[in-house]
Amino acid sequence: MSGAQTILVFVVLAPGAVFAVLGLLWLAGWAPGERVLSRLTGLTFFACTSGVAVLAWRLLAPGGVPAVVVTFGNWFAIGRYHFPLVLMVDRLSLAFLALTAVLSGLIGQFSATYLHQEPGFLRFFLLLHLFAFGSLLAFASGSFDLLAAGWEIVGITSVLLIAFFQLRPAPVENGLRVFGIYRACDIGLFVAIFALHHWAGTASFQRGFPALRGTHGTLIGLLLLLAAAGKAAQVPFSGWLPRAMEGPTPSSAIFYGAISIHAGAYLLLRAQPLLARSGLDSGLVILLGAATAIHGTLAGRASADTKTSLAYATLSQVGIVFIEIGLGWKWLAVAHILGNAMVRTMQYLRAPSMLHDYHQMHSAIGSELAPTGKQIEELLPQRVQLWLYRWAFDRGHLDTMLDRWIIRPLLQLSAYLAKTERSGTSGMLPQNISPIPAQGRAEQGGH
Amino acid sequence: MPAWLAHAPLGSGKYFLHAPFLTGACIAIPWLGAGLIAIFRKQARSLGSLAALAPVIASAILLWEAPRHASLYEALMLLFSCLTLGALCLLPRRDCTNATVSGILLLLGATLLAYSTDNLILLLAAWILSETPFMLAAWWGARKRGPWIALLLSSLALTFAIGLIAFRTGTSSIAALQGQSPGGIAVYLLLIVAVIFRKGIYPAQAWVAEEAAAGPAIPAALLLNGHFGALLVAKLIVPLFPRTDQLFPVLSYLAIFTALYAAIRALGENSPRRLLALLALSQSAFILSGLESRTAEGIAGAVVHWFVVSVTTVGLFGILRLLEVRFGENLTASRHLGLAAHAPRLAVSFAILGLALVGLPGTLGFCSQDLLIHGALTSHPLTGLLLPIATAMNAVSIFRLFTRLFLGKRHTGFTAQADALPRERWVLAAGVLFVVLGGLFPNAIVAQRSAGGAGIKNGADALHALSQRKPRTDAARSHILFMPAPGLTDYSPHANIILRGGAAW
Repeated sequence: MSGAQTILVFVVLAPGAVFAVLGLLWLAGWAPGERVLSRLTGLTFFACTSGVAVLAWRLLAPGGVPAVVVTFGNWFAIGRYHFPLVLMVDRLSLAFLALTAVLSGLIGQFSATYLHQEPGFLRFFLLLHLFAFGSLLAFASGSFDLLAAGWEIVGITSVLLIAFFQLRPAPVENGLRVFGIYRACDIGLFVAIFALHHWAGTASFQRGFPALRGTHGTLIGLLLLLAAAGKAAQVPFSGWLPRAMEGPTPSSAIFYGAISIHAGAYLLLRAQPLLARSGLDSGLVILLGAATAIHGTLAGRASADTKTSLAYATLSQVGIVFIEIGLGWKWLAVAHILGNAMVRTMQYLRAPSMLHDYHQMHSAIGSELAPTGKQIEELLPQRVQLWLYRWAFDRGHLDTMLDRWIIRPLLQLSAYLAKTERSGTSGMLPQNISPIPAQGRAEQGGH
Repeated sequence: MPAWLAHAPLGSGKYFLHAPFLTGACIAIPWLGAGLIAIFRKQARSLGSLAALAPVIASAILLWEAPRHASLYEALMLLFSCLTLGALCLLPRRDCTNATVSGILLLLGATLLAYSTDNLILLLAAWILSETPFMLAAWWGARKRGPWIALLLSSLALTFAIGLIAFRTGTSSIAALQGQSPGGIAVYLLLIVAVIFRKGIYPAQAWVAEEAAAGPAIPAALLLNGHFGALLVAKLIVPLFPRTDQLFPVLSYLAIFTALYAAIRALGENSPRRLLALLALSQSAFILSGLESRTAEGIAGAVVHWFVVSVTTVGLFGILRLLEVRFGENLTASRHLGLAAHAPRLAVSFAILGLALVGLPGTLGFCSQDLLIHGALTSHPLTGLLLPIATAMNAVSIFRLFTRLFLGKRHTGFTAQADALPRERWVLAAGVLFVVLGGLFPNAIVAQRSAGGAGIKNGADALHALSQRKPRTDAARSHILFMPAPGLTDYSPHANIILRGGAAW
């Protein structure tokens, strides 16, 4: 294994190893102090960032290689089906690896102060390392199989951090909702991977994307778009984004300002050769992006709290990134992602002290800041403005539609099946025998 | 040498000599232990653990010495012995009665007999014996008619099937009957009925949740994880009936439907025991669909999933029972109970085992589901799509149960030891390590089980080769769906086609 390959393996595995060691130590009964934890985190991500810098030099310097690839063989293999264990860093993944390493370290340092004396301090840092590992794995994978593994880890850590303040029911319930949407959309990724294996014989993009055309290519593109739209909170899955703001601010910054929200765009950038061959796929990517950008800007204007406004501002930009991908402007999309991620992270991290900042500015200038000027929606008729406000205030009615058309019918079906089952089994019983004890009877069928 | 104990030994002479003795020990010692506990009525947990430890050691030796391609049942014996030992350690003191421990040991012996025997009559005896503690009201005070009827019907169906086979062929050796379709379609249908009732496949699914809700939690989990239905498919239906391929998918469709049905049922269920039972039912229905997929991935995935479902559901039921004992039996998933504050290690174990059950990456469940879904989609592209959907719903349900039990506002007033005791910690840590290390290094298990499952695959291949009929409907659909893409002349579904485009980064 060459030096660059070793560094790539180190960059991906280091946060995972820290997570595993700290987790096992905690299970054994030892919890590290805050200082130890923050220094260890800083050291880990400093090493990762340095590693990424070396990889960048290897890739971008004159005469550099197009990609650094590490092949470990197969994670598991059955007959002709195999799960390749390939890490790869090329110019696209380099940008995302750098973003993850730098921002994870930054968030770690910020959180050491922000979450000082917080009961879940260790839990937060464990999840931060796990998230960084998942992201680095997803961005450095050489196949969709491995990408899916990292993708899922990012999803579960995201949900656990939304439910970070576990004593309050709202964050926990919102975490559950986000988890449900993630899992539903991830079906697209898993079926796409299966289809790639079936039609192309591989889900690896180590030597480029499998050249699928026609219906097959379009179908896989649509499935990947479903997964990307779920992760990137694109319309119609945008409803989970404001719910995700229940988590601690540093995790909101790195997940929904920077890394996780852009993971969907990364997936589409990886699949861009496939999307470019299908007019339907490209058109849908543009359409979704445009709808999300408009939805984001409208809903953001009607949001009452800072974090939600920022979330929608990020969402609008991600929508525009989708449009750029759909149009084939790949490098513009990458640059847009990098800029958006950095700016939003900074804005999120400053959000808790925003009022303080304003007060300082007001003191400095000796008066209040001037109004920002006219809003573009004021050009519209009053009735349209009101309608738009209602629409934006309810965040495009997306959650309402999800509740009404998906969740409620499913729960009703579940209750109906439970009722049918009970009537079916109770028919077999004599009158004096209950199928379940009294303690359990009260628990059945309720929602 | 008692021939009935040997499972077609194909390996070294050493294995050939040891196998009957060790297999006999695996079965006899738990029964002996059950008898001793019933007579002396003392030290139930210690005696029970010793009686369960002996099969663990014996089956480990059997597995070690077995030829790799014929080691499936030895591996299953080791798995079930370990599960039983773990379950005995997890049993709360309140549940650790003579009746419970002796019942568990009887179940262990019967299950190991079913896994190891090559004789139809003994298989039937094991089948009935494993159900006995759950059917006798005197044993665990069972007052449940639904499970009673389902288990009885499954036994009756198997009895009639084996009776017909013995009557028509005059032999009870499974090896001697391979590929002969003994008894014809009547026996085949009776076997399917036995599988449906025992495994809880739709429309006979209701008893599983009922048994889990009203019966003893940990023994019920062991009963479900014997997977006798899947065993019957792997041991009898696939090898004995190679010419019934047009009917066989019916079971697969029912299994896939059951997986989806139970997943939908679980979404609205608030009784933790029922919810866990529905998740176990949904996930274990995957095993049948994988076995029936007749693809290498599907069958290997089914066998690995068998391991995952068994370890995780016994662990989850064990944790749930521990919570019931410590926090009262009125646990519910309708509100947040905040138990993580009192029992953090139980919470972490529950989360890991639960997420492994639904295929979290980094656990063995991810690998088994990956293989299973590939197998199912290859075999039945349209119905197979239901499996990932069911998995997604199951993931939501298990996460909901976790959040409702462990997160939210904490309850006050618990002064007793609430988190896992040392003996419980060791068992849960072993379960967690199995699914996590298995997930990190899956090839060690997947390759072994793939070789072990080769017997089933060979049976399935024989089935396929012998069938000269037109493709079944779903396979025909599969052909249409997977026809070559325009521009690709040298098409093969698994060929590594030329890679073009891409590499733009």
